[in-house]
Amino acid sequence: MSDRLKIFLLLAPALTAIIVLFMGGLGIGLARSLNYMPVIGLVDPNFDAYVTVFTSQEFYLSFLLTLHISVTSTVLSSILAIGAALLLRRQFIGRAIINFLFQLNLTVPHLVGAIGILYLFSQSGSFARLAAEWGMISRPGDFPALVFDPYAIGIILQYVWKEVPFIGVILLANMQALGEDYESVARSLGANRWQAFRHVLLPLIFPGLLSASVMVFAFTFGAYEIPAILGPNYPAALPVLAYRKYTDVDLEARPEAMAMAIVIALLSALMIFLYVRISRRNIRS
Amino acid sequence: MQNDSPWLRAFRGLAGAVLIVWLVLPLIPLAIWSFARGWFFPDILPKQWTLSAWEYALSDRAGVIDSLGLTIGISLAATVLSILVGVPAGRALGLYKFRGKELIELLILAPTIVPGIAVALGIHSVFITLGLNNTVGGVVLVHLVPTLPYMVLVMSGIFANYDPAFESQARSLGASWLKTFWYVTFPAILPGIIVGGLFAFLVSWSQYILTLLIGGGRVVTLPLLLFNFATSGRNDITGAIGIVYILPGIIILILTARHLSGRNGAVGGFGRI
Amino acid sequence: MTHVSLKDLTKVYPGSKVPSLDRLSLEIPTGELTALLGPSGCGKTTTMKMIAGLLTPTSGDVTFDDRSILREKPEHRGVVMVFQNYLLFPYMSVADNIGFGLKMRKVDKSEIDRRVGEMLDLVKLPDLGKRRPSELSGGQQQRVALARALIVQPKVLLLDEPLSNLDAHLRFEMRDLIRSLQQEMGITTIFVTHDQEEAVVLADKVALILDGRLCQYDHADVFYKRPANEAVARFFGGQNFIPGQSSGTAFDSALGQLALPQNAITGKGTLTFRPENVKIGPSQTNGLTAILEDRIYLGTQTRLRLRVGETMVEAIANPDEVGDFEVGGPVPIHLPPQALWVLQ
Repeated sequence: MSDRLKIFLLLAPALTAIIVLFMGGLGIGLARSLNYMPVIGLVDPNFDAYVTVFTSQEFYLSFLLTLHISVTSTVLSSILAIGAALLLRRQFIGRAIINFLFQLNLTVPHLVGAIGILYLFSQSGSFARLAAEWGMISRPGDFPALVFDPYAIGIILQYVWKEVPFIGVILLANMQALGEDYESVARSLGANRWQAFRHVLLPLIFPGLLSASVMVFAFTFGAYEIPAILGPNYPAALPVLAYRKYTDVDLEARPEAMAMAIVIALLSALMIFLYVRISRRNIRS
Repeated sequence: MQNDSPWLRAFRGLAGAVLIVWLVLPLIPLAIWSFARGWFFPDILPKQWTLSAWEYALSDRAGVIDSLGLTIGISLAATVLSILVGVPAGRALGLYKFRGKELIELLILAPTIVPGIAVALGIHSVFITLGLNNTVGGVVLVHLVPTLPYMVLVMSGIFANYDPAFESQARSLGASWLKTFWYVTFPAILPGIIVGGLFAFLVSWSQYILTLLIGGGRVVTLPLLLFNFATSGRNDITGAIGIVYILPGIIILILTARHLSGRNGAVGGFGRI
Repeated sequence: MTHVSLKDLTKVYPGSKVPSLDRLSLEIPTGELTALLGPSGCGKTTTMKMIAGLLTPTSGDVTFDDRSILREKPEHRGVVMVFQNYLLFPYMSVADNIGFGLKMRKVDKSEIDRRVGEMLDLVKLPDLGKRRPSELSGGQQQRVALARALIVQPKVLLLDEPLSNLDAHLRFEMRDLIRSLQQEMGITTIFVTHDQEEAVVLADKVALILDGRLCQYDHADVFYKRPANEAVARFFGGQNFIPGQSSGTAFDSALGQLALPQNAITGKGTLTFRPENVKIGPSQTNGLTAILEDRIYLGTQTRLRLRVGETMVEAIANPDEVGDFEVGGPVPIHLPPQALWVLQ
């Protein structure tokens, strides 16, 4: 069997799955967002749905909220994950516990984390009760709004809770594979601790960090259940808005939902493109 | 490395302690709620403890047990499917260089970097056309979209460090194709299958929106049940279901923990994207 | 110009009971090229890392010109270590790698460019500044690593197995380069190696470390002629060890009585002589008749296994000298007294 045929046969099942399900999903979504559905006689594509999306103020507010959630969560999680990985690389009391908790956290679904954050940070949650116990507040309403709030603090907290271990585990694996010798070389050539990190370790773990954080960005940009549990009602995060439109009793709203899904994909791609370019330029120079 | 200053060590200990607390913290109220009766503001702990949430959750009428079985079944099926589809693809991407490889890698990894909601709505339409909506099979199939990239990623990392000459050696010693796979290839890639399978299972296990859309509310997995209770304000039952929902993942983790250390190349494979 | 001295330097790694390095004391004079020689895991690299400040000793001291440097951070010690696998930063060009140390010291960009150019000429890689390390051969990477270390003008240069990853023909080229640069710049240089040939070829003086302890510290030829003990002699390829009694002028053993050189020790001891010093042919002094048990032709030399009575003697000879002797037959040999050495 020739190598070409072998490669083709090995890839065929995966490619079929991805093309039919993933590309098919995107393609049909695109068609329907253009009001193009030959099955029910809609054969003249148009941009009506996009016009509706782009002329609605709610869409822009939702977009800004979602962008804020994704950028803040990704940046915070990445920074904290680097710190955590640096910490876990060293021998110290409690390292084994944190290692285990990191892996344990990977197994906990986002939805459970979101509910946990809700019970901790809502105005009648555990922290509000502690504040009341210490006499800092007297009624639940006095506690600052950390969930359902316009700054999406609860959502971001949840993402940081879940994604620090995710990025951290990947970075830790990278660091352990690299060893400490590169940094030793840098130190012996005159780099101080910070310089050895900034000019040597960070560029070396950068590919892993970049791919992990891109995954986090995309996930936080398109996840539904977390903003549905913890997010404000208006403006809602983009995925929540799209799902609402999609399940609207008014079937007319469906193309609008599809248009929004396509816009989410495009915006996310654009953001990832910018993010990769900016971070490449700044880290590895 | 050189000995660190006491300040640095103290800082490290403090950071470690904060991290431990933070990692466990969100799970604590869930556990407490599941044993609480009427836990009102501003009580730090419930005034009364009860097992009634657990009794309800584990009873037949709540449907939690059925849903647990269904969820395990769906995730296992999605995992097996993604192993069957992902291992060959990982082999092709890890072992061979060919034209258009980057494009195919990008295509297979695309689901991890394209927001889920963007695809989910379209897939729903595809599945309606195929008649797969509202079925368990459809849900299993759609779980392939988010799980497959992880599987392929891990396996291509494994195969990149795998020497197919071992297979030629086995064949030249008289092993059949099947025996070669069973005695040579399979043991060599098993760590990857375990790690990739674990990822696939957990990714499938935590799916919400894909299951909701494709299952059309008829395929009620645990996250759907949990979401419903969480949004209806039954915190005690939510707590109990939440605990039930995270236990299988923890058990699997404990069973496979030794494969997850940094020394297993599979986890580091994420740096290769 | 820096005189390095190690005083009772000891390292016990956490969780280990046996010290990896046990009270090593060594004086390394200014501008000399010294080899730390020993099998892998004997504590050589540990010693270098402690000098470089990358590891903290359990006890003992390291001084430069009589001033302890243990409290200095690695980046302030003026010590540069070149690792065995070079560890060029893969994401940087060759020029950026070489200029790294200057960049860390916040030297002007134009000054860095100028000095990197000089270093590239010095290590004979003038046109490769823009390449990536992965595009270079092993020998070229080694030169870049050396240039990267020398550009910061270290007081002390540490080299970890500097020749071991190179092909045979590159080793001599690199040896000449290292020696000429080191002499020119007068940098006190310490390198570690497990290969006695590498140590002998490159170093002014050799410190042999076995099991974490210093066994002998001397000029290279002394290890062949007058090893301190049997372990040292064996490490340097010695194979003949014959127990017996020394009278100071003669040695009584299973080989009979053999004349010794002057200044030999007296009393019970072990006689040793190198295989290449076993001479073929009869002689008045120390002549013996041996039986040829086996011979291995090695191209430029022939190894002989000889038996004298019940004692086995290993010899290396010129193939032309031994062409006629047959396995099982007698061979006349002699052991020149100046080739003999008695170990305590």
